[in-house]
Amino acid sequence: MFKGNRKVLGIFALMTCALGSQAFAQTQECIVLKSVAEIEKEVVSDKGEKSKVLVPAGKVIPGTEVIWSVTANNVCKQPSEKVTINNPVPEHMTLVPNSAFGPGSDISFSLDGQKFAPAGQLTVRENGADRAARADEYKHIRWVFKNPLQPGASAVARFRAVLN
Amino acid sequence: MFSPRVLRAICTAALCFVLGSSKALAVGVPAGTDITNTAEVTYAIGATTATATSNVAVVTVAEILDVVVTRQSPANISVSANATQQEVLFAVTNSGNGPETFRLVMNSVIGSDDFDPTPSTPSIYFDTDGSGDLSPGDTAYTPGTNDPVLNPDTSVAVLVVNDIPGTVVDGNVGITQFTADARTGSGAPGTIYAAQGAAGTDAVVGMSGAAGQVTGQYIVGGITVNAVKSQAVVDQFGGTRPLPGARINYTVAVQATGSGSAANTIFSDNIPANTTYVPGTLRLNSALLTDAAADDAGEFSNTPGARVRVTLGTLTQASGTQSIQFAVTIN
Repeated sequence: MFKGNRKVLGIFALMTCALGSQAFAQTQECIVLKSVAEIEKEVVSDKGEKSKVLVPAGKVIPGTEVIWSVTANNVCKQPSEKVTINNPVPEHMTLVPNSAFGPGSDISFSLDGQKFAPAGQLTVRENGADRAARADEYKHIRWVFKNPLQPGASAVARFRAVLN
Repeated sequence: MFSPRVLRAICTAALCFVLGSSKALAVGVPAGTDITNTAEVTYAIGATTATATSNVAVVTVAEILDVVVTRQSPANISVSANATQQEVLFAVTNSGNGPETFRLVMNSVIGSDDFDPTPSTPSIYFDTDGSGDLSPGDTAYTPGTNDPVLNPDTSVAVLVVNDIPGTVVDGNVGITQFTADARTGSGAPGTIYAAQGAAGTDAVVGMSGAAGQVTGQYIVGGITVNAVKSQAVVDQFGGTRPLPGARINYTVAVQATGSGSAANTIFSDNIPANTTYVPGTLRLNSALLTDAAADDAGEFSNTPGARVRVTLGTLTQASGTQSIQFAVTIN
C-alpha cells in the first residue's frame, strides 16, 4: 500500500511540475507597475507644526512641481532579476535636477531614448562644440535595480518635474 | 485738428504700435491639456525576459486666471475746460493660459485729484480701428453684451472717455480709473474656481489676482489753438471759376490764445477729394517748405491719404498768427 501511494505521489509531483512550468511559459506578469502623480501640500497640525504631505495631482497650473512615482511590485513566487524601470519625462514638463530617486538602483538619463548615461555625462552639440547636457534637457530616465526583486517586494522609482 | 490733441493721437498710435509689437509673455501649457505618463519595466526570471507597462497616469492642466492692464496714453492728457470726449487709451492682456472673458469698468470719482472728470456716454470704447484715439470706427462697450474674450497672450485696446467740467482752472488734475477683471473669478492668488476653467478644468487665480487697475490723468491747460481757413480760386483763363484744372490757393491762419503754451503743435490738412496737391506750394509764414519729410517743418504725404503737414513747435499767444499756404488743382 505504501509503495502504491508513493507511486501515486510521484506521478502527482510530476504533474504539478509540468503544470508549473506550463504556467510560466504563458508569461504571467510577475511585476505589476503602478504610476502615480502627486503634488506636495503643506499641512499645519493643531500644534502649529508645518509638514508636507503628498496628495494626488489631478489638475495643476503651469509652474507646479509634480512628483511622479513608479512602483514595481513582484507578484510572483520567484525573484525578478535585472529589474529596469524606464520613464520618459512627460510632455510639457521639465525635469527638476537631482530629483530622480530610487533606492538600490543606478540611475541614468537619455536625450533620445537610445543612449543612456549617468547624470552629467550626456553631451549636446551646440554652436559647433560639445557641452554637457543640462538636467532640464533630459527626456528619459532609467532605473536599473542592482538586486533581484524578491517575491512580494516592491521597488520605487521617483522624480520631480515642473509643468511648463 | 490743430490742438495738442493731434500729437497725442499720433503719439498714442506710435506708442501703441511699439508696445504691441514688444509683448513676449510666457503663459504656460494651455488649460485643459492632459499630460500622460506611462512607465515601463523590464525584468528577467531565469533565462526569460519580460516587459510590463504601468497604468496611464494623467495630470490635467488647470487654467490660470491672469490679466495685465496698462495705460498706453501719456501720463498726462492736456485738456481745456468744457472739452468733451477726452480719451485715455488702455490695453488689457490675457496673461493666463486659457481663453477668458473680461469685464471692464471705469470710474472718475477719485478722491485724490482736483476735479472729477465727467464720464461721457458711452464712457468705454474698444479702439476697434486701432487709431489710438476715439474715432467713428470704434465700438462702444456695453457690459454683459460685448465683454472682450481674449485668448492667452492676446490683448485688446480700450478707450476711456470723459468730458471736462467748466469749473476748472489751469493746472487742475482729474483722474480717471480703469479696471479689468476675469469674469470667471478673481481674488487672492491661488483661489480655485473648481471646474470653471477652459475645457471644464479648474480655474485658479494667478499672481495678478485676475484683476488689473490703472489710472489716467487729465491736466487742464489754458491754451487753445484755432485755425481759420480761407481759399481763392484762380482758373486757367484768369477768372475765378472752379473749373477742372483751376487752382485753389488755401491760406490757414493758426492762432494760439490763452495762457500757457501748446507744445508740439502740428497742423495737418487732408487734400480735398477731387483735387490734386500742387507740388512745391507749401509755405509757412511766406517761407517755402519742401514737400519731402524730415528736412524742414513741412511735408506733403500720400499715406494714409494725401495731406500736408506742418510742425509749428510750441505756440503761445505771443507767437502770433502762423500762416500756412498750399495750393491744389481741381481734377
